[in-house]
Amino acid sequence: MALLHHLAKACTVLRVDATSLTQHSAFSVSAVSAAIQKMTRVRVVDNSSLGNTPHHRAPRVIHVYTKNGVGKVGDKVLLAIKGQKKKALIVGHKMPGERMTPRFDSNNVVLIEDNGNPTGTRIRVPVPTHLRKMEGDYSKLLAIASRFV
Amino acid sequence: MAAWTSRFLLLRAPCFAALRTGGVSESPVLALGCVRTLKNTTWFEEHLTEDNQKYMRKSINEEYRRQTVEKLNPLKDEPWPRHAWTEGSRRVGLVAVKLGMVPVWTKTGERHVVTMLQVQDCHVVKCLSKEEFDGHTAALLVGGKNVSPFHRSEETMEMFRIAGVPPKQKVTTFKVSDNAIIKPGTPLYAAHFRPGQYVDITAKTIGKGFQGVMKRWGFRGQPATHGHTKTHRRPGASGPGGDPAKVFKGKKMPGQMGNYFDTAHGLKVWRVNTKSNVLYVHGSVPGHKNCLLKVRDTILPRRSSSLLNPPFPTFFTEEEGDLAEDLYDQDMFVYTEPSLTLAD
Amino acid sequence: MAACIKRLDRAMFSIRLLRNVQLHNERSLSTSLHRLALDSEPPSKFTPPVKPVIIDKTQSVASLRKFLSPEFVPPRQRTKPVKFTIERKDMIRRRKVLNIPEFYVGSVLAVTMTDPHATGKNNRFVGICIQRGGRGLGATFVLRNIIDNQGVEICYEMYSPRIQQIEVLKLEKRLDDNLMYLRDALPEYCTVDTDMKPHPFSTTGEVPVNKTKVRMLPKPWSKRWERPKFNVKGIRFDLCLSPEQMEHAQKWAQPWVEYDMLKEYDTSKLEEDIYAEIQQEAAAK
Repeated sequence: MALLHHLAKACTVLRVDATSLTQHSAFSVSAVSAAIQKMTRVRVVDNSSLGNTPHHRAPRVIHVYTKNGVGKVGDKVLLAIKGQKKKALIVGHKMPGERMTPRFDSNNVVLIEDNGNPTGTRIRVPVPTHLRKMEGDYSKLLAIASRFV
Repeated sequence: MAAWTSRFLLLRAPCFAALRTGGVSESPVLALGCVRTLKNTTWFEEHLTEDNQKYMRKSINEEYRRQTVEKLNPLKDEPWPRHAWTEGSRRVGLVAVKLGMVPVWTKTGERHVVTMLQVQDCHVVKCLSKEEFDGHTAALLVGGKNVSPFHRSEETMEMFRIAGVPPKQKVTTFKVSDNAIIKPGTPLYAAHFRPGQYVDITAKTIGKGFQGVMKRWGFRGQPATHGHTKTHRRPGASGPGGDPAKVFKGKKMPGQMGNYFDTAHGLKVWRVNTKSNVLYVHGSVPGHKNCLLKVRDTILPRRSSSLLNPPFPTFFTEEEGDLAEDLYDQDMFVYTEPSLTLAD
Repeated sequence: MAACIKRLDRAMFSIRLLRNVQLHNERSLSTSLHRLALDSEPPSKFTPPVKPVIIDKTQSVASLRKFLSPEFVPPRQRTKPVKFTIERKDMIRRRKVLNIPEFYVGSVLAVTMTDPHATGKNNRFVGICIQRGGRGLGATFVLRNIIDNQGVEICYEMYSPRIQQIEVLKLEKRLDDNLMYLRDALPEYCTVDTDMKPHPFSTTGEVPVNKTKVRMLPKPWSKRWERPKFNVKGIRFDLCLSPEQMEHAQKWAQPWVEYDMLKEYDTSKLEEDIYAEIQQEAAAK
């Protein structure tokens, strides 16, 4: 009886897991008081192999290249990802920005090389249009975006 | 308590003497230092019936309405000589009431917040010449917002009576240049300021009482835990020890926060509503909602150039009575225009 | 006895399986619920050539319902009424230029706004309205949608000159006045097709109420929606919380608040006046 019970339970759990969003974490995450700061866990949204192979530890921000240490859309950060250091560009965050700009359900970054070129070849999620303000520096990155909101 | 009462009496006695001619016979005695409690503390309505009170209030209102209407055309009856606007003249300012904040948008789609200020029953009350004021500049006393005359002292009432205007809740002094003096009794309007110019606004800030350094100066305080006891919101050290052997003047310390006069400098006027006399001034201004503030042309040297050919010495309705209901800054989006579209 | 229990177990298991199947069906239904429901609901009235005419109607003909947008009602505070009067005038002026239709939290909207950074300088976003906020000229509303498995929300300023068009694609209400809990719900509940065609709606009568109750993602949520202060009616709490947890949440209930007469703010009279004023202004020009 107990075994059967367990089986049934496992069935339901599996079902729920399959339907739930992949980015929804089952642990409590810190509040969105500051957009992106040191130790923020982020989601890599390009198709680079580094950002998409599973690892037991989520990518973390270990430095934000701004004066106040708070990163918003368009700021560069340093990630600790799969045991190595990698630069990335913020392309969306949970904290609401200005009015009439999109707010995303996850903290999204795109991996970039040291010279500013993107590591991946495609961005899988929509990207805010006001990222285009810095067109000159990241035109290659904007070119691989699939969609703008 | 007894001492306090007597002192109170001494202060108030001359005032009462002036106020009530009937009480003159008693008040000198009181003023001489009597310790008895004053028996004839009177409110204006004390010996009046309900009907009489009502009648008084009504008649006073009518009187003030008449006075206001009389003053509507200051250029017609014995106007004072007027001078032309010259660079460096200082105009009079206004007394306004703070209404609240609203957003405005520019023609490029940027959003700013502005404060709405209403100019309400604003009159010039008194003109002080250079000699009368401080020997350096002339000054004008301007009052705003009509109030009941029944609780004012006789001296204040005298000033308003001479000017021929109703008593005002706030009277404030503006230093003006000699060519900008205005006849007492002249009404002032929001159109005295024009969109695009910059103003300074003085008002009493919202009182916060006696506050510690964390709230008053933004100090960081000390940790809440990790073994800290009795030291969480304290200022910490107040300076070096041995060499100066003192605390420097101006050290940020706990104390009274708010409830003092503060000035916000260089605020842009975005819009003027000439009908309901409302000014739209950039950003926030000191003071709480419905407080009375003092608005004047900015003293910032860089912003003074925004003042090009303003109404001088002030705006007269009979002179430019055909002003549009709303005057807008040239950058401001007007709600009757179609939505913004960007070229190419 | 043992055999009996065994048989009972088997029966239970089969019931469980059945329920799973049912749930599965329900879910597959709900993903395409909008389309299905609207195609299947008025089958008798469905006349293909009429449809484009109705679409035109939704855009041009204003609602005949007596509806006052909530931002017209001044908040309860000691501000002089003249401030709100002047603000209202500006709002009406803007509404004469831009058609701000009647909509509610839960309606599906499409907003076109000027965006200097977008291609074609215009940006169109379709989503479900999850919140309306602000009073007077500062009124806002939040649209939410899920695009490429990424939840996106945009907070729009209703009176901003950058807004070019607001279309109501589907006019309906939900059980709650604030749908912020959709952030923690299964993604299918706020997924809206970006090329959605406007659904016709009647301009009179009551606004249809969509009585969907959403299934939530596993905890933790962004807020504890089961707490009485949110008073959420549109969540299937029975699926995600145990009765003990629901009872525990009642610990934060404040049943005395409804008897606080100082918090009463009856705006019906005020709304009548403002509505009359708006009608008058609209008729004036």
